Amino acid sequence: MLALILAVFSGGYAYSAQDGVVQIYKNATAPFDDEKKVDSILLIPEKTVPVKTKYQGGLFWTETRKEKIERFKCSKCHNNKSVRISQAAEMAHGTIVLDHGGAQKPLSCYTCHEKGDRDFLVTEAGLKVDMDHSYRMCGQCHFRQARDWVGGAHGKRISYWAGQRVVKNCVSCHDPHSPLFEKRWPKTYSPPFK
Amino acid sequence: MDPQIKNDCRRKQTNKLLQEKQSGRRQFLKGAARVAALGGAAMLSGCGAGMFGSNEEYSLRWQEYFKKNYRLMTPEEKDETVRRLERLARLKSDVDVQVSSEAPIDGVLFGYAFNVTRCEGYMECVTACVKENNLDRKSNTQYIRIFEMEHGQMSPEVGDGKYFHKVPVEDHFYMGVQCYHCQNAPCTKACPVRATWQEPDGIVVVDYDWCIGCRYCMAACPYYGRRFNWNEPQVPLAEMTKKQHYLGNRMRRKGQMEKCTFCVQRSREGRLPACVEACPTGARVFGNLLDPKSEIRFVLKNKKVFRFKDDLGTDPKFWYFVD
Repeated sequence: MLALILAVFSGGYAYSAQDGVVQIYKNATAPFDDEKKVDSILLIPEKTVPVKTKYQGGLFWTETRKEKIERFKCSKCHNNKSVRISQAAEMAHGTIVLDHGGAQKPLSCYTCHEKGDRDFLVTEAGLKVDMDHSYRMCGQCHFRQARDWVGGAHGKRISYWAGQRVVKNCVSCHDPHSPLFEKRWPKTYSPPFK
Repeated sequence: MDPQIKNDCRRKQTNKLLQEKQSGRRQFLKGAARVAALGGAAMLSGCGAGMFGSNEEYSLRWQEYFKKNYRLMTPEEKDETVRRLERLARLKSDVDVQVSSEAPIDGVLFGYAFNVTRCEGYMECVTACVKENNLDRKSNTQYIRIFEMEHGQMSPEVGDGKYFHKVPVEDHFYMGVQCYHCQNAPCTKACPVRATWQEPDGIVVVDYDWCIGCRYCMAACPYYGRRFNWNEPQVPLAEMTKKQHYLGNRMRRKGQMEKCTFCVQRSREGRLPACVEACPTGARVFGNLLDPKSEIRFVLKNKKVFRFKDDLGTDPKFWYFVD
């Protein structure tokens, strides 16, 4: 009983004795007004869209995707007219390597792409998703990463730590068809620690 | 005479005397410097360009030699030294640099987090840092070190920094080490001439021109975060970052200490440090610790974080976290 009281007491004491920078940031609860305090911050850059989920600071933006897709809109070819070019599918999509989901649950094209309207993606629940908001697709399985991405522990901001929050989209870094990063040579080396 | 008034008079006099005494040596040196500069200029104008180059360069270098510690300078004096440094760079190596003396932003305390799960050891942060901060290419000075470590290893002191294979490798993780900008920084206490200190926004900086090169701070740092210029730093002019800060990436000299400044020339403008911007995996998080909505606060609140050598009490503003 005494030991329990002691343990509780010492735990409480250790917490209250916490000082230094941890205490400094814990005491700071007032929001920081970026636009007033920082002069040279960039306003929201072009080619971004507001993300449909809010983060702890409100609205944030992410990079668009559509203009990075070479042959968007997809409905230019994928319509009910017949395609006259031979081997058109091979020409347009031959470079795609699909390596997503591993051997256990390999994904196919139509896991993400909408069969009826090729300009859009579609979730498991049947919701049509715009190409610019493709993060909504990834979050279906990678919900932990999606939560971290919204909060700021996964992914990265673009150029500025201050001002309106603009972050990279999932597909800015990961190829959606084979999302794992490739192995490559390091750029340099580090001398030993001491 | 009223004794009260008399007393006041005497106090004023002694105060005046004290003031004169305090500033006497500096005033004298300043005066001497001006006279010498003028004399030198007069001499050189007689016999053409001397060993210091032009008269202007000679005079500017004299004035630079007798400037104050950065912390004691008034805003006007900061402007003057910045203009002199820009002009000297122009005269010496025919390069246009923009040196800034941007002050810390009110209500900002910079913090940094490093994701050991995400880092893949590509070392793009290292090369970006070298380029941004005009680090010496001859001695291969680097602020950041990345170590390849096996699972279970706890300290980068046993890690391998010279891995020579494609990365990442299975069953290994990568840990980046740099200056942690400790809130209770031992390096600043070790400096005998107060050439290094912590700015109000938490960045530990060095006044390169006030540094005497004793390397006490290097010995005091338990994280091996400081670098010394054993030779005159060499940076190809084409690769030089022209946008500089007095406390940041302006050109150092032989015998001066330098260190990571969280890219003070960028971060005080609201931009991310070069390492954060270069990281291809998003393993680096940078932001304002005093801002409850910042990413760094999210990491500290929601992730498992640890600090390197936390038991030393140096209170680093640099956290490692795992996914």
